[in-house]
Amino acid sequence: MSGGGVILENLSGKKLFVLVLVLFICQIGCFLLGGLLAPTPSTTDMVLASKCIYNQSNPWSYIRGTGQCVTHELGSYTSEYNLVANDIVFTFQIPTPRDGQTLDYSRWQQNMIGVLNFDIEYHTGTTMDRNFVLTLDTKLGYRNIGDRDDDWHLYAASVEKRNLDCVATEKIDGHNYQCSLVPLFELGSLFHDYYLINIKIPVDEQMGINIGLGHLKDVWLVVINQNGGFTYVWIHMKAIIFPIVVGILLWFWYRVYRLARKPVLLEQMLLIIGIILSCLNFPIESLSLYYDMPYMLILQDLRQGVFYAALLSFWLIFAGEHLMDSHQTSILTYWKHLSAVFIGCVALFAFEMSERGTQLKNPFYTIWATNTGTNLAMAFILLALLSGICYFVFLSFMIWRVFCNISIRRSALPAMSNARRLHYEGSIYRFKFLMLATILCAFVTMVEFVLGQVSEGHWRWNENSEINYGSAFLIGVYGMWNIYIFALIILYSPSHKHWPSEMDVNNSSSDTIEFSRLPTEPTEMSSLAAFSKKSAFD
Amino acid sequence: MKATIVIRTIILTLVVDEISKVYAKHREGKYKGTHWWGIAKAGEPNNLVPMSPGMMHMDSTSMTLLRNKQRRMIRENPGVLQAISRGVNMALQECQHQFRNRRWNCSTKNFMTGENLFGKIVDRGFRETAFIYAITSAGVTHAVSRACAEGVIETCTCDTAHQRRGPYIQNSEPGVKDWEWGGCSDNIDFGYKFARMFVDTGERGRSLREKMNLHNNEAGRMHVQSEMKQECKCHGMSGSCTVKTCWMKLPNFRSIGDNLKDRFDGASWVMVGNAGGLRRTRRKDNAQNKHNENAQQNGMQQQPSAQQGQQQEHHRRGGRNRYSFQLKPYDPELKAPGTKDLVYLEQSPQFCDANPRLGILGTHGRQCNESSIGMDGCDLMCCQRGYKTHQAIVSERCNCTFLWCCEVKCSVCSYRKTVSTCV
Repeated sequence: MSGGGVILENLSGKKLFVLVLVLFICQIGCFLLGGLLAPTPSTTDMVLASKCIYNQSNPWSYIRGTGQCVTHELGSYTSEYNLVANDIVFTFQIPTPRDGQTLDYSRWQQNMIGVLNFDIEYHTGTTMDRNFVLTLDTKLGYRNIGDRDDDWHLYAASVEKRNLDCVATEKIDGHNYQCSLVPLFELGSLFHDYYLINIKIPVDEQMGINIGLGHLKDVWLVVINQNGGFTYVWIHMKAIIFPIVVGILLWFWYRVYRLARKPVLLEQMLLIIGIILSCLNFPIESLSLYYDMPYMLILQDLRQGVFYAALLSFWLIFAGEHLMDSHQTSILTYWKHLSAVFIGCVALFAFEMSERGTQLKNPFYTIWATNTGTNLAMAFILLALLSGICYFVFLSFMIWRVFCNISIRRSALPAMSNARRLHYEGSIYRFKFLMLATILCAFVTMVEFVLGQVSEGHWRWNENSEINYGSAFLIGVYGMWNIYIFALIILYSPSHKHWPSEMDVNNSSSDTIEFSRLPTEPTEMSSLAAFSKKSAFD
Repeated sequence: MKATIVIRTIILTLVVDEISKVYAKHREGKYKGTHWWGIAKAGEPNNLVPMSPGMMHMDSTSMTLLRNKQRRMIRENPGVLQAISRGVNMALQECQHQFRNRRWNCSTKNFMTGENLFGKIVDRGFRETAFIYAITSAGVTHAVSRACAEGVIETCTCDTAHQRRGPYIQNSEPGVKDWEWGGCSDNIDFGYKFARMFVDTGERGRSLREKMNLHNNEAGRMHVQSEMKQECKCHGMSGSCTVKTCWMKLPNFRSIGDNLKDRFDGASWVMVGNAGGLRRTRRKDNAQNKHNENAQQNGMQQQPSAQQGQQQEHHRRGGRNRYSFQLKPYDPELKAPGTKDLVYLEQSPQFCDANPRLGILGTHGRQCNESSIGMDGCDLMCCQRGYKTHQAIVSERCNCTFLWCCEVKCSVCSYRKTVSTCV
């Protein structure tokens, strides 16, 4: 194994073009897979609460099946029934039946989020305060196919406080307040078949609980769950990508291993990011089809977070390695820059654990419900944001320095021999090419993100259109970063090829002395990095 | 043996058919198809006896209010009857609320005597008639969609026509599988389709009046659909907005009533006369359907172009162009009425004096507001006939506060009030 540099430098333009083309086609394929085959990532169901009258003998109120509750209308309050607040149970039995069939949740649907929406009627005599603190006595139960109709099992019960912000836009009797959405629960796994939510809105005059709530007419629950079809496409895509990435990673490490030297930092980083990507790609979601894994949401967020952290660190080191003049670079050299990434990640991890971590114990918990919680969450996010800004300042500065170096060296190029010059020009071109690819990927991600937001919000395409933008975005971007890492690993793995120009260089050129050190470099760094180093000597 | 059974069945069917036809002719007035409004009153709790969950028994008198198709729809969709009843009641209350200060105040008749719920006024193509049709149609759409959301109607469709069915097969029914794969459509879709089939059943003739009814019914439904408000929630990685899911929220019925009242005030007078008033627009069904759904989806006002039957039902019965018509405004200078506009055929009478032929009660004895210059002012309300005033001590509930739950705390206010009554 002699020869220097990485595949990127030795690859002919034609081959590079073919490789890029193939990867580009794969990318298009990912977008199409998401857009055409997969349904929207998640689906909603608006469920209207049935107002059950609480029955002492039955801990659960439900509206379908034997033992169903007696319902009551809250449209107009009458003294006929002599009800108190504790007698009314807002009941959601999900899923609701469709097409005459009793639907049941499938484990393919992965997770569930519940959001409450209150219909409160405006009356001139009774005005509601903004930022009303609502106290909900909530209970979540589940049942499976084959269980008796009344055999509901307790999943979680909690008394929760939520802020309800209601504004009367038109102050006319009979109109509804515009109320903010109230997040109710988040389930990390949808393991059971049927779910039942019982909510009481108790009133306690001494404690001041729920005093001042207006004329509540209806409570809606918006149930959001992932679509089975999306999970299906997602898991299968991961299952296909996973072995490919692992394969290329083994190939890469085998090549590095066969070198006479120890792997350099950039190669170590590539290995690390490849391993992290493989962890992300491993279709562990499929286990949730067989086991109850409520921590799946956290696991997914963690895997994704670690991947982004690795990617950000990689960019820093990638830029730094094309700049540094000291030979022994280790990850510790970059501790200042990497600490920005690290602090950001720790902040986000703390936020994640305080929100979703607590939800493992109590699915009704949300950090945003209380003011202290909101402040804490904002602090975490702000810290992450600050370190993010620091990171980008560092990165931009480094890239700027690399480009400065390159342009300075470029002016020295005409003095070099023809073959050398062509070679270095090519290297610079390919380095810029990869920079461009990175920027392009980041740009596409951002554009897709914005378009995804807009497509959900406003211009929905024709109803009959088969293209699904949300899924195209998620699957396409996921595929894109895979392809990006895949390309990096291939192009930056050590090349076996001899430089064809080396012979000519050694026997003729005037700048032989200058460049002859290259093959004897103990680290066998990529020639581009060496080139940058050379610049430092000048 | 088989043959005789077949013949018997045929004869029986014919006889039953004949009887129902005769009966229908006898019972249904000039404009059939609106007697279903009667279930608003028939549907009161005393008349509906719950037999088993989801199934309702209806007394025979209220069942006779319905056409065969409507009866079948109610039979096939358990739970829908209460929803319709609720919808008509809601519409009635809304109508009376919107018209409380007008000469015509949306009064109802005793429908049991064979009359229409709203009286004979619906026999004529007035503005008020247009409003009645639109608000009842909107009421049914709203109430059925609402009942779907509550899970009371088990047959609400899970429309996944545009969702591709997944390749993964489990031991489940096709419908369940579709739901697992891509979720269900909004409840409004079922509400809209059901209301279209149920409310528009009677209007199958080709007369202008029936086109007017169809148009106003459709306008009512469109108002429900276009008032839907979109709300969204972010739930991506760590709660970020990488995944955002949106849904449509069913509007408060009061705002639909308000909008329809606005349309009532600006209703279009469309041409009376022969079928020349109907400019048929036949387009390619596909294109139209797409356009329709698109417009509905965006909650935008549709082009005043054609509507096309969305259900198989209409296609099968050859009524596919039932909604493909364009009404011409009386004044050619004016814009053609849009989908959400109300249309009428005749100028309304003054509603001042009682007119039993039209089912108008007149404003005799109505209370009016002396100081108002609006429609509820004594001058306008009493049609310059003059009014009596007398001082009275009125005890009313006042300063009411609604307490959750379920208390209305009111104080009784007694005050001297000048009551004005039209002579």
